Amino acid sequence: MSAQTIIKVEGLSKHYLLNKIPMQKSDTLYGNFINGLKNIKQLTQKKQTEDFWALKDVSFEIEKGDRVGIIGRNGAGKSTLLKILSRITPPTKGRIEYSGRMASLLEVGTGFHGDLSGRENIYLNGSILGMTKQEIDRKFDEIVAFAEVEKFLDTPVKRYSSGMYVRLAFAVAANLESDILIVDEVLAVGDAAFQKKCIGKMNDVSKNEGRTVLFVSHQLNTLQALCNKGLVLNKGEVSLNVTSSEQAIKHYMLLANQTARTSIVDRLDRDGEGKIKVADIKFSNSVQQQIEELITGQELNIHVSYQCINSFVGQRISVALAFYGDDGILYTVVNSENTGVIYDNIKGSGELVCSIPKLPLMEGNYFINVSITENGIAQDWVQEATSINVIAGDFYGTGKINPNTHKSILINNSWLK
Amino acid sequence: MKPDRIIIDSHLSSFFSLKDVLRYRTLLNNLAKRDFLVRYKQAFAGIIWAIIKPLVNILVFGYISSKISNTGNTATNFVYVASAMLLWQLFSNVFNEVSNSIINNANLFSKVYFPKIIIPISTLLVSLVDFFISLIILIVLFVISGQSIHWHLVLAPLFIALTLINGFGIGLYFATINVKYRDVKFIVPVIIQFGMYATPVIFSTRFYLDRIPEWLHWIFCINPMVGAIDGFKYALFGGDAIYNLNYFILSLFISFVFLFIGVKYFYKFERNFVDYI
Repeated sequence: MSAQTIIKVEGLSKHYLLNKIPMQKSDTLYGNFINGLKNIKQLTQKKQTEDFWALKDVSFEIEKGDRVGIIGRNGAGKSTLLKILSRITPPTKGRIEYSGRMASLLEVGTGFHGDLSGRENIYLNGSILGMTKQEIDRKFDEIVAFAEVEKFLDTPVKRYSSGMYVRLAFAVAANLESDILIVDEVLAVGDAAFQKKCIGKMNDVSKNEGRTVLFVSHQLNTLQALCNKGLVLNKGEVSLNVTSSEQAIKHYMLLANQTARTSIVDRLDRDGEGKIKVADIKFSNSVQQQIEELITGQELNIHVSYQCINSFVGQRISVALAFYGDDGILYTVVNSENTGVIYDNIKGSGELVCSIPKLPLMEGNYFINVSITENGIAQDWVQEATSINVIAGDFYGTGKINPNTHKSILINNSWLK
Repeated sequence: MKPDRIIIDSHLSSFFSLKDVLRYRTLLNNLAKRDFLVRYKQAFAGIIWAIIKPLVNILVFGYISSKISNTGNTATNFVYVASAMLLWQLFSNVFNEVSNSIINNANLFSKVYFPKIIIPISTLLVSLVDFFISLIILIVLFVISGQSIHWHLVLAPLFIALTLINGFGIGLYFATINVKYRDVKFIVPVIIQFGMYATPVIFSTRFYLDRIPEWLHWIFCINPMVGAIDGFKYALFGGDAIYNLNYFILSLFISFVFLFIGVKYFYKFERNFVDYI
């Protein structure tokens, strides 16, 4: 370990055994009873399991004061890596060596209890994060000021607005003194103003106080704003070792392009319950011809085909499509629920169609993340499900095309004479 | 201050460390405080319930059992049974709470690292607070029923501690199994319910041993609560509460065997709890 190295990870692997025959569950009382008996019977049989390596031989070093963004798709092993680094779960192989105090924020407000007051929760949450009473006493005023909850300190937090709750939770964590800070997606909470404040605080922590930060986020632009280094993980392995954040994002996009070409139904890197899955995404134009390339301003139909597992009948289903540029920036999201359309009695397989009268994306490459929600429960979520190539087109119908210096969204506008 | 150097290795195993527990004592206090405060939040009578619950238990069981085992002075008999009942309640509380403590707090240790032993210890503290409230009731009963004060009263805290050891040791063992098999949640109350009848709570050890065949005697005394309750009765009332010194020592020995097994088992799997929860 050189003088500058603060974290050294060597040959880290994490192995999970997945049960091939999961414990039987049923919705009915009778079914539950029968399954209970079956499960007891199964105890005597040899279990069928499947090996799964969440991390495979991961090695890297991080230098003091670096702000490292960990980039990877769903199932790339980011969360597992953070969990092992923060000592929540042990590695199967390999070792980690680090010096100094480590604080990990895998969630804001761990252990917050709705019935306890703001004051009581500050002490409880602070102590869970590893602060002593003296430390919390010392930081108390700062925490309260940052969270802007002075007047409600003795109110149970279940009466707080969600904004206040998150502010308080983040404030405790942000005031934790540590040499290494591990942050997982927690900035994706709260309103825009608060997010800005959080990022400001994080910048403060890392740039001015010289702390080392490890950061995971799906929002590549936040990552770019915050980190000077990047580490790309892919399928549990290091795809690109610690390097500048620009290069890491570029590399990640290259990877995304490759995976976006594999068919969606075969993809394993997905989240959600999985009772209904996205099978494919196709595009067609105004005369129902299937198209591969899209044109700015054209009328467009997006066909999302789905597959349900046996006997599943979905109620209150909504589909969301998020459009990311190859620069990692989110350009827009379309969600069926927000247009007032909710699909009921969805079963078997079929397709749901989203119609866009005038494609507002400018020329360039984009990725689409797709998610299906059933009755408020995420059933499927595939990142970079497909990539699309948009070619420049006449959005305004005037023969003029916006110069493609920056990617952006085009909006309809008119000027009064 | 020299920064700590921490090594996370795949083949390191964890073990009990008092230093770790002391370092996290703020957390220990706050978890215990949370459990105690939350229980009586939004309850009109608030903390008074902490007195009513054990009082009703002691009165009902004390009354019924003093009627059943009708020997001599009713008031003395009543306090006698109440004291055993109190200790059994402490044991069953600790056993039950500790065995569920790990799964009830999974949301904490799956997001933040801290020594997991803090959780069962904090539930032990909460049960102890409840116990002290009931103890006040027992002391009042003890005084008004006119019991005489002996030197062996000073032994009483030892047997309270022994009860904690019993509940904690066995509880830790079940808490560990509970992580993977939630069946424990249902088994523990059954053990507690039937355990009471295999323990000298309502009747004395003499009563049991006189009625079961001799070869079963040592099995009866393998129950670690036999030693704790008999010892407690001896500390309070003297006399022949400790029926057979050999069996008494066997029971005490078993207490520590269970504690050892419980702690050992807990630490064997502690590092992997998150993967199975």
